[in-house]
Amino acid sequence: MLRLTLRWRVAMVLGLGSLLLTSTLAIAIWNLASGYMLRQREQSGVRQAEVNARLVAESLRTGSGGLNELLTGLATSQDSTVLLFRPGQVLTSGRQVDPTRLPPRLLELGRRGVPAAQRLIVDGVPVLAVTLPMSSAGGAYVELAPMVQLDRTFRFLSGLLVACAVVSGLLGVALGFWASRRALRPLTELTNAASRIAGGDLRARLPAQADPDLTPLATTFNVTADALEQRVIKDARFAGDVSHELRSPLTTMVNAAAVLHRRRAEVPGTAGKALELLTSEIDRFARMVVDLLEISRTDQRADDTTLEPIDLAVLVENVIAARPGRAVAVEADAPAPQVLGDRRRLDRVVANLLDNADRHAGGAVRVAVLSRRGMARLEVDDGGPGVPAALRDRIFDRFDRGARAGSRGGDTGSGLGLALVAQHVQRHGGTARVEQRPGGGARFIVEIPEADR
Amino acid sequence: MDYSVLLVEDDEHIRLALGLALGDEGFAVSDAVSGEDALRMLGQSAFDVVLLDLVLPGVDGLEVCQTLRARGDLPIIIVTARTDTADVIAGLEAGADDYVTKPLVAGELAARIRALLRRRGGGRQDEVLRFGGLEIRPDVGTVHQSGQEVHLTRTEFRLLVELASAAGRIVTREQLLQRVWGYDYFGDTRLLDVHIRRLRRKVEPDPDDPTLVVTVRGAGYRIDPDR
Repeated sequence: MLRLTLRWRVAMVLGLGSLLLTSTLAIAIWNLASGYMLRQREQSGVRQAEVNARLVAESLRTGSGGLNELLTGLATSQDSTVLLFRPGQVLTSGRQVDPTRLPPRLLELGRRGVPAAQRLIVDGVPVLAVTLPMSSAGGAYVELAPMVQLDRTFRFLSGLLVACAVVSGLLGVALGFWASRRALRPLTELTNAASRIAGGDLRARLPAQADPDLTPLATTFNVTADALEQRVIKDARFAGDVSHELRSPLTTMVNAAAVLHRRRAEVPGTAGKALELLTSEIDRFARMVVDLLEISRTDQRADDTTLEPIDLAVLVENVIAARPGRAVAVEADAPAPQVLGDRRRLDRVVANLLDNADRHAGGAVRVAVLSRRGMARLEVDDGGPGVPAALRDRIFDRFDRGARAGSRGGDTGSGLGLALVAQHVQRHGGTARVEQRPGGGARFIVEIPEADR
Repeated sequence: MDYSVLLVEDDEHIRLALGLALGDEGFAVSDAVSGEDALRMLGQSAFDVVLLDLVLPGVDGLEVCQTLRARGDLPIIIVTARTDTADVIAGLEAGADDYVTKPLVAGELAARIRALLRRRGGGRQDEVLRFGGLEIRPDVGTVHQSGQEVHLTRTEFRLLVELASAAGRIVTREQLLQRVWGYDYFGDTRLLDVHIRRLRRKVEPDPDDPTLVVTVRGAGYRIDPDR
């Protein structure tokens, strides 16, 4: 079902109300005015007919021969008709009308001596028929006076009234539309403020409202926004404190571990093995904490100002060049895709994908930077066992090791590397996924929208 | 040759562990527990580099950094547990040459310190680089702007020499980070941006409208040789 917007509903209701009101008024005006005019016309018609009938009666009584001339003279306009019914004779003057087409009841009343008037349509012309008894002649005098003029007036009046009703209905719709838009303007402001908050601008507030109807809304909104801002600040501070509190002992641990590691030869036997375990686990633990702090940072929006245009191929080459061990060649489209990004995060994405390949598949065998339909596409292929289709979505979840459980060796990383990849790529408006590499192994694909050149 | 390091850190455990680990890396480490302590020790004896925690009781790290920078160009590496952009930038603006984030590993820190303390220059004897009114002597480490000597920190000077040696060619951010700071991994834009800003403040006639050290968008920086 078609659902109208609030604004249109208000406009329609106002329009219908206005139409109803004007229609009622129009009908009332029509009834009063047409009734009055008809009565006036009837009265004057009847009076005229009475005068005429007296003249006819006089002429009949005196028996003068000028009856025909008199009747012709009485038919004042070309549309009016005068009929004189006498026993065995009907005299007609003016517009010719077949006497049988007159309502018999009207003639009957006239013959019986009762004056009567009726509105008729005779041969397409609206007329007022007045019947008067002609007692002296035992007949009846009938005068058909045209009402074309009155009919025209009625037509004009009715047209005017209908037009008024329609225009007022339309005006009602327009007024409703305008008024609701005005009334909803604070709502538009509210929407804007709310979407600014949703977009990360926690300082967005509604301006103070002078209208007492709107004050509670603005106040409630602003109070909610204040609370949200406070909450976010508190959370950020907490995250900062957690970060600080965890990093300090970790610093002590990794450095003490480095000292111990250097002297592992001095501690033989069981204690030496335990020491080995301890120091290697401390390094992994430190990486995990650092990754965890990075992935849970709440102040990430603050960094969005550091976006800059980056040549993805150059960035990937730099990251590879900075890694120890055998460097894999980068296969790049020319010209290489440019993205608008945060260099640090993109470095991290590339490094984590390479780390992942190193750890689980013996290293990357192919790295490609391509440009595909407006997307910069990074492909990192490895020659390992690949990722089963059922696990391909889960592999980007935090601490998901299911996919690589079989290969869990001494150094499994933080368990957050791919989750960080997914999060950083998402922050750039892109996607990360894994596919089967043609010829075996896994292909990790990252796509980020290309920057406008 | 052993470099002497002053480690300013209020957390006793970190101080001890880092002291041991840096000792293993071949540094002579002294430590200070507060800003006041650090300033006093720096007044008494000479150090090659200061490792400065930003969060200190009393005189805080930023203030110590500013004070030291006002005294001279002693290399300073700030150590921070907070990775917020604002903290890092504030430290670099206060005059630090580099920064490391906790948990820092002694081995990595050692590489950073060595990069920072590498012999300055590398230019031929009596080589003079000139750009307009700017005169750089890489062998003696001096810079003159219109005859007036400009005091640059070691890092600012190396940054300027790297740009000047390219003689108008673009030097990428990665190249600068690697040559000046010895970064062999993720380059940090903030570090370079702040140093470029500091350098411009000292050598540009109008730092807000740089005409000498020019940004090449998306590529890096270059010195305009026509100046």
